[in-house]
Parts: sequence; structure tokens; C-alpha cells
Amino acid sequence: MDILVWIMAGTLLPWFPLSWIFNKLLASAPGFWAQALAILVFPQLGLLLLIYSGAWQALPVGLDSNLRGVALFTAVFYAFRAASTREVQVWARLMTTSGLALTWLLHGQNLDPLTLQSFALAWSIPGALMLVWAGLLEQRMGGAYLGLRGGLTTVLPRLSALITLTALAASATPIFPTFFILLHVVKALPLAWIPGGLLVLLLWGWAVGRFLQDLLFGIYRGELLEDLTVGGTWLGGLVLGLFAVGGIFWGGAWIMN
Amino acid sequence: MKIIQQITIITPFLLVLSAIIILFFLPSKRRMSARVSVIATLFTFFLSLGMLGYYVVAGHSQVVYIGIHWGSIWLDPLSLIMWVFVSGISVLVHMYSVRYMVEEPNYTRFFALLDLMTAIILFMVSAADLVTLLVAWFFVGVVLYFLLGHDTNRPAAGRYAFWTQITYRAGDLPLWFAAFVLIKTYHSISLPVIFAQIRINPHLHTFWGLSIPELVAFLLAFAAFARSAQFLLHGWLPYTMDGPTPVSALMHAGIVNAGGFLFNRFAPVFEYAGGALHMAFIVGLVTAIIGSAMMLIQNDVKRSLGYSTMGQMGFMVMECGVGAFPLAIFHLIAHGFFKGSMFLGAGNVIGEARAHDGVPPDSIYTAIVERRPAKPSRLPWLAAAALTILVPAAVLSLSHFFVSSGLLYEQGVVILLFFGWVTGAQALFATHKMTHTNPWRLMGGILGSFVLIVIGYTLISHYFSSFLYPHDVSQKLYAAASINAFAFDTLVIFLAFLFVGGWALTFFADSSGWWDRVDKGGWRGAYLSMYALLSRELYVNDLYARLTQLLLVFSHRLNILLRWC
Repeated sequence: MDILVWIMAGTLLPWFPLSWIFNKLLASAPGFWAQALAILVFPQLGLLLLIYSGAWQALPVGLDSNLRGVALFTAVFYAFRAASTREVQVWARLMTTSGLALTWLLHGQNLDPLTLQSFALAWSIPGALMLVWAGLLEQRMGGAYLGLRGGLTTVLPRLSALITLTALAASATPIFPTFFILLHVVKALPLAWIPGGLLVLLLWGWAVGRFLQDLLFGIYRGELLEDLTVGGTWLGGLVLGLFAVGGIFWGGAWIMN
Repeated sequence: MKIIQQITIITPFLLVLSAIIILFFLPSKRRMSARVSVIATLFTFFLSLGMLGYYVVAGHSQVVYIGIHWGSIWLDPLSLIMWVFVSGISVLVHMYSVRYMVEEPNYTRFFALLDLMTAIILFMVSAADLVTLLVAWFFVGVVLYFLLGHDTNRPAAGRYAFWTQITYRAGDLPLWFAAFVLIKTYHSISLPVIFAQIRINPHLHTFWGLSIPELVAFLLAFAAFARSAQFLLHGWLPYTMDGPTPVSALMHAGIVNAGGFLFNRFAPVFEYAGGALHMAFIVGLVTAIIGSAMMLIQNDVKRSLGYSTMGQMGFMVMECGVGAFPLAIFHLIAHGFFKGSMFLGAGNVIGEARAHDGVPPDSIYTAIVERRPAKPSRLPWLAAAALTILVPAAVLSLSHFFVSSGLLYEQGVVILLFFGWVTGAQALFATHKMTHTNPWRLMGGILGSFVLIVIGYTLISHYFSSFLYPHDVSQKLYAAASINAFAFDTLVIFLAFLFVGGWALTFFADSSGWWDRVDKGGWRGAYLSMYALLSRELYVNDLYARLTQLLLVFSHRLNILLRWC
């Protein structure tokens, strides 16, 4: 029974190598809305399972070094893979997997279940948004693959602005909550492990840099595309804005506690 | 008191507000957005000046809290001087951009980003807690990426913006590590609290065999190296020229100086970290030499300015390495205004060169820039040698002796005087090589200017140091940077002989042509190899590009193996 709980939790709150199943499940969801919903719900289910089965509490405080190593490896591994990815859906999945894996490192921080779930949600939100933008991009271009036709900012200024902001949110840019969560995760690590945690930050910087380079720069050579509506842009902007405001106020509440 | 706190908070937030107004309410009103941006920056500048004036009158530092857990501003001499400097440069850049950028697309977004960048730098230089510092330090890299990549039609702009971003990110890591070492050791994020605890017992805690201040100082130095384009982390700087000229000006006049600021902000840590200061000295020296050498062989005005900045940053870090922290701040301000004006004038120089492609037949230009064989000087060589070597040494030593004789016993000051001597002697040597109808008058003029510059610089830097570090911090920093007296004396004597020998060799080789008779072509080959090496920028960028390519291939193969899941 215990093993089954661990397998399910490691799949839903991704932990290598079970993270492969998590990604496969997401990829197989029908349509981008379903994928976005799955990326929001799966980690929450994983956490609920861990907390209410007592498995989370049974873990050694602060995780033992092997478990910590696996969680950190998952984050580094998926961030490294995201660096060479040009397909927006895959990029979103890999980056979210990398971020979600860090949730494991918060064990032993005396966080109540709601806060822990909020942390996982903060990694899922940019991932879900990015999957939605990728779906909308696919509808317009036939595929959400960057780098083939650069300069999307000239032909899809509103959608590319939202994609840019979401990519920044996914890669722990201040003032989004992900930045403050990363601060919290790094603080939770023993000193000797901090360089490993910071390697994730470097790889995210690399991944987002390449992603934006392919998205924004160059001269677009293709047919005219219909941009996102003004209303849709405001809605997306509002979600990201609220997410950022949440980062400033909510992040400060627990950063040094 | 309360009004000062309110003004403190308003000063940086004013620019955040103007950026928000421009982005959300004036996205299509070009003239209005430029006006709002310039006015907000001017206000910020005057408020900063007012705050500095208030400090001079009131004479005490204070911390102003914005948030409950993090977000605080430290009103100390360093923050206030940086506020005036940064907002001053920003005013110039804003005013210049109003017309310069008028034909560019995304004009309003450009001003919003300029405002945001200025605001973030103001937060960064005045952060009183580690979280605010990390947020601002990190955010500078993000906003700079979008400013450098303003012209999205040019893939090169994106590529070089990315280089900058990834170097900055690499430099963020040691700062994060240093911050968490401090937080975990001293259980506080407040910089004044941490510094006070370090002063009480600096070597109480150790990690990895180093005391905490030593470890933190090494990490901070690495963070400063990335921001200030020190050798091996410099590849991005010359290529930031692909951004708009006003951004280059802001970049080279302000943002790149962050390394010097970081050393000064954490001066209480460096007081107990001599090893980190010695490393900074060596890295700064290598950067200054390589930056200057690269600058000399560039045939592109803006890239030449980029390498010149690299050399200057090397010198700034070197100043920190010898313990002359206030001098580094003075240097970055002087260099900032100088380089800002150079960049903002670069467009005019290029335009002028396009209009008049003939090289001006000026004797000074011909001798220095074109490096045509100099005609024999009319000054007797003995008089020239004496003037060249002895006068700078006498002027520098006497000026320091009269201003603050105690400083002459500090090794750091001796090293700086030594470099002043080398620079002064080099200038006089170049003057000696020029042909002129009245060489004595020419040399007299140059000597007069040199004396004025040295006295002015000595006086200003002395009073500036007293203002920035009113207590005995300067002496402690010099003491931390000191090395064994015998090793130091040997080093200075060796370097003095090296320079004098170099000048003598150049002088005789130029004047009698004996080198050409002795050399059988081997020297020319070495010279060309060196030129090729420098023109390829020592292959540093190529090496990084290759390494990145290999890692990407590996990452791609992993993705294929795991079927992108």
C-alpha cells in the first residue's frame, strides 16, 4: 500500500523517473484546456495524497540526502532539457516539472498543508497559462514551434507579450511568487547543497533566454495571423498581474519566517 | 522625520509609477509618454539631490521600511551618492532619447523600460536587506535584456541581449549563495544587523575552512566580476553596442558599475577578507590590461568604447583590490559621466566621419592614432627621461603628502600612486615623441595639466573618502588588502624596473631604428600572432559558444531518448 502511495505521489508531484509518467499523462490529455487543467490538478492531488495518507509526515525531517538528491536532480534535469526545447507545450511541461520537483525540498519547513499546496500551485499556474497560449498559437500557426518563423512580436504582439510574461513567471523572475518560493527552497537547503539549488536557477535563465530569443527576435516571414483579442489579452494580463501582486504580498509573508 | 521617510519611498516609486502610466494609459501617445518619463526622472533627480543635501545637514544614516518582512531603503552616504549619480545619468539618457529614438518603433515602451530600469537601480543601490537586494539585482538583468533587445527585427540584438542575460544570471548565483550564507549564519536579512554582528566577532563561524566573511567576500567578488565585465566574464560587454545608443550609454555609464557598488556596500565584510581583495586586484589588473589592449585594435568606435569600459572596470575592481573602496566609487562616477557623454556623442562622430571621410591632418592625431614614425624630438633625451620618470613621481607623492600624509604608508595607496606614475609618465613620454615648434612649451602645458589633475583628484578623492566612510573603515580596508612588506617592496621595485626598461627599449628602438636591424622577422610573426589573438578576442566567446553547443546537443539527445516527456 505504502509503495503504491509513493508511486502515485511521485507521479503526480513529479519525481524522477516517475516524472516521465507525469509528462506522458499531460501530453496525452485531449486539447490544451485539458492539459492546462491537468497541470493544475495533478500536483494538488499528489500533495493531498501525501498529506492525508501520512506519507509526507513520515518522511525524515528535511529529507534524507538521497531523497533530497533525487528531488534536486529532477529539477536540474528537466531545466537542462528545457534549454534545447523549441516546442512551447513541451517547454511548459518541462519547466513546470522542474519547478514542481522543488516542492519536495520544502519538507521539514513546518508549512501547513494549504501553504504547501499554494507553493505547488504557484509552479503550476505559469505552466497552465503557457499551455493555453501554446494552444492558441497552434490554432493560428498550425504548430507552437518557435525558431522556424521568428519575430512573432510583430505579427502577434499581444499573444507574444503574454507568452513572454508567462515564461518569465515560470523561470522564477521577481516579482512573481515563483521567485520567492525559490528563495524559500534555497533557504531550506543545507549550505553545502545550495550550489545545486542555484544550478536550477542558472538553467532556467538559459532556457528562458533561448525561448525568448526564438520567440521575439527576427523578421517574420509568413502569412498574416490574427492576434489575441483585446479582451483576451486583458484577461490574461489580469491573471498574470494578480499572480505578480500575490508574489509581492504573499511571498513576503513567509519568506523569512 | 516622517516627511523624509515618505520622500525616500516616493523617490524610486515615482519612476515605477511613470512606467505603469506609460505602459497602460499612454501606449500610443508618443510625445506625452516621453514627456511624462523625462519629468518623472527629473523629479527623481531633484529629490535625490534633496535627500543628499538633507544627509549633509543632518549627518546620520537611517533605514526606511516599505514592507513588513522585506523591502527597505538604507539612507547612507553610499546610497545617496549613487541615487544622485544614477538619476543624473538617467536624466541625460532620457533627454537624449526623446529625439534620438523618435523614429524607432515601440517608442513608448522604451521610455517605460528606461523608467523601470532607473527605479530598479535606485532600489538596488539603496537596499537595506538581502531580499530587496536580490530582487533588484536580479531584475536589472531582466529589464536590461528587453532594453538591449529593443529592436526585435535584428536577431543579433536578441543574441547579444541573451549573452548579457546569461552572464548576469551566472553572476547572480554567487550573490544568492553569499546572501544565504549570511542569512543562515546571522539569522537576519537586514544588512545593518548583519554588519554589526560581523564587527562584533568576524571569525565566529566557519564553513568549508573559511571564516564566513572570507567565504562571503569571495562569492561577492565573483558576483561583482560578472556585472562589471571582468576577464572571462566580459564577452557580453562589447556586444551590448547592438542595443540602442542611449541604452549603451546607460549601460556603460551606470549598470556596469554595479560591481564597484557591491564591493562598497559589503565593505564591512571585505574588512576581514584580505584573500578576496588580493584576488580582486589580480582579476582587475588582468582585465584592465586585456581591455585596454583590445580597445587599441578595434576599428569600430562603439566597440572600442566597450573595451575601454572593460579596461576601466578592471581598474575600478583593482582599486577595490588594494582597499581603495571610496576611490572606486569616485572612479565609477567620473567614468560614468565621461563614458555617457562619449556614447551619446558617438552617433555624431559616426555621422561626422560619414560626411568627411578624410583623416584630419593634425600632428597629434598623426602621432598618436596613426602611429606614424615619430620624428626625433627636439627635447634633449636626458631632460625628457628625467621629466618623464621623476616629475609624475614627485607630483603624486607631494600631493598625497600634503593632503593626508598618513595614507602614504598604506600599500594600497602606494600601488595606486604607482599606477598614476606609470600613466603620467606614459602621457609625458607620448608628448615627448610629438613634434612641435616649441617642445618646451608643449611639455610645460602637459605638465601643468598633469599637476592640476593630480591635485584636484587627490583633494576630491580624499574628501570623498571622508564623506563616504566617516569612521576608520578606509584604514581597515587598506590593512586588509596589505601583503607581506618584503614581497610588496620586491613587487614594486620589479614593476618599476619593468616599466622603465620598457620605455627605454621603446625610446631607443624608435629613435635609432636598431631594433629593425637586430630583428630578423621573428618579432613581426609574434606581433601578428598577438594581433590575430586579440582581434579574435582571445577566443573566449568562441569557447563559450562551442561549450554551449555541446551542452545543447546533449540536452537534445536526452529529449529524444525520453521522447520529450
